Amino acid sequence: MLTLAFDTATQAATSALVDDSEVLAERVSRAQTLLEDVDALLRQAGAHPGDLDRLAVGIGPGSFTGVRIGLAVARGLALSLGLPGAGVSTLAALAAGAPDALPVVDARRREVFALLDGEPRVLAPAELPVEAGTLLVGDGAVRYREQLEERGAEIPPDGDERHLPRARFHAALAGEPVPVEELEPLYLRVPDAERGLRP
Amino acid sequence: MILGIETSCDETAAALVTEGGEIRANVVSSQADLHARYGGVVPEVASRRHLELVAPVVREALSDAGATLDGVETVAVTRGPGLIGALLVGLAAAKAIAWSRRLPLVPVDHLDGHVASLYLQPDPVEPPFLCLLASGGHTQLLDVRDHGEHELLGTTLDDAAGEAFDKGARLLGLGYPGGREIDRLARDGDPHAFDFPVARVPGLDFSFSGLKTALLYAVRDLEPAELERRRADLAASYQRAIVAALVGRVREAAAATGRDRIAIVGGVAANSALRASLPDAAAAPLALCTDNAAMIASAARWAEPAPYPAYLGLDAYASR
Ligand SMILES: [Zn+2]
Repeated sequence: MLTLAFDTATQAATSALVDDSEVLAERVSRAQTLLEDVDALLRQAGAHPGDLDRLAVGIGPGSFTGVRIGLAVARGLALSLGLPGAGVSTLAALAAGAPDALPVVDARRREVFALLDGEPRVLAPAELPVEAGTLLVGDGAVRYREQLEERGAEIPPDGDERHLPRARFHAALAGEPVPVEELEPLYLRVPDAERGLRP
Repeated sequence: MILGIETSCDETAAALVTEGGEIRANVVSSQADLHARYGGVVPEVASRRHLELVAPVVREALSDAGATLDGVETVAVTRGPGLIGALLVGLAAAKAIAWSRRLPLVPVDHLDGHVASLYLQPDPVEPPFLCLLASGGHTQLLDVRDHGEHELLGTTLDDAAGEAFDKGARLLGLGYPGGREIDRLARDGDPHAFDFPVARVPGLDFSFSGLKTALLYAVRDLEPAELERRRADLAASYQRAIVAALVGRVREAAAATGRDRIAIVGGVAANSALRASLPDAAAAPLALCTDNAAMIASAARWAEPAPYPAYLGLDAYASR
């Protein structure tokens, strides 16, 4: 079972080619160059697009544009190759890479996305449940390092592996694959314009 | 066959066009109704919708053409200008389709696409000609010398013609998109009832922001009952001023370049007053005036395709 996995929700786009549970190759770059990574992964493994069995795609939460690039690539691949896919939360992938940590993704506008009691939520960094020794990972934790560390949080150094939602975890967490067009972004925020329409 | 994909603004579109310019399928899923409640295109709303629609429009185009992706030799996609988040959805999907089949990809400039809407069968317009490109996002005068080769003669210094229609429609309490609404209401009005100024700017450029302000003042100066009674006159006069500005420049450009053939493209080319004022101009069928993917596939016929894997890192651009 050859799985192509990728996540473009955060600044660092991750990708991996996984055969059953064996990670054949991994890459990290940016959402716009995701297909360069995908191409390199397959070359490295000596595989062809037609060899792929399924996709495992990060659905956010994170950058709206980033998530959409990943899901648009997934839709294009699925349409062309007839692949099914599974959606995996970016926060869940971070949690899988750092099981004892609270994953925090930058949501811009002075907010973060975090997994609270298993539910993805958008909130201010000050609202994160942090006590002395709480381990935080993800680009949201890095961005608000100072104020979170002041409250006692422990945050690994900027370049630490655990801040990346490694696509190998998406492959590992992927559930039963479904038609890729059914995979929807986890936005967690309505567009501003829509908010303006509400009384 | 060329698969075209277009997601630069508020239409999600896919088309299949042959090398000879024959349209095999042309699917446009308009988001106009979605954006009507905001009175204009909301980029984030548009981008979300493009992601939902991009695969379905491609599938529908293939089914309309009775084809599969096996029959596609080239993928063409709009790279810009437009809403960046919207463009990236179409570009990502197009790159993925092309990559998975090792097909070449042609990144197409949206404005080249509009011009290339004239090159489609069954009645292609052959260059050279003078082209007025007028839409919600653009107003340009182009000297089209050959397929894929033109010189920009003039452009708008502020609002695009279609934008002027949209803003005017909003001032008159009409719906979105405004061009269609003003066109309809103007039929019951007197185009000479109000004397709106046609801005004089140097060269062959356009300016519509003063016109919008003039309409704003006219609307403000009227009592509510009087405004209601004269809305059709305001719409007709406002439309006349926009059309006069466009036609005036077209005639000046024709004189300056010596081109005797004129063509109009873009959403504003659907305006009945503009068509009536340029009876000698060639125009694409109405369905090809507004944004579509057949024009993108058409433009790809004269562009250099990027071979696999050169296009994999390609980025979109919001403006030129
Ligand atoms: Zn356009």
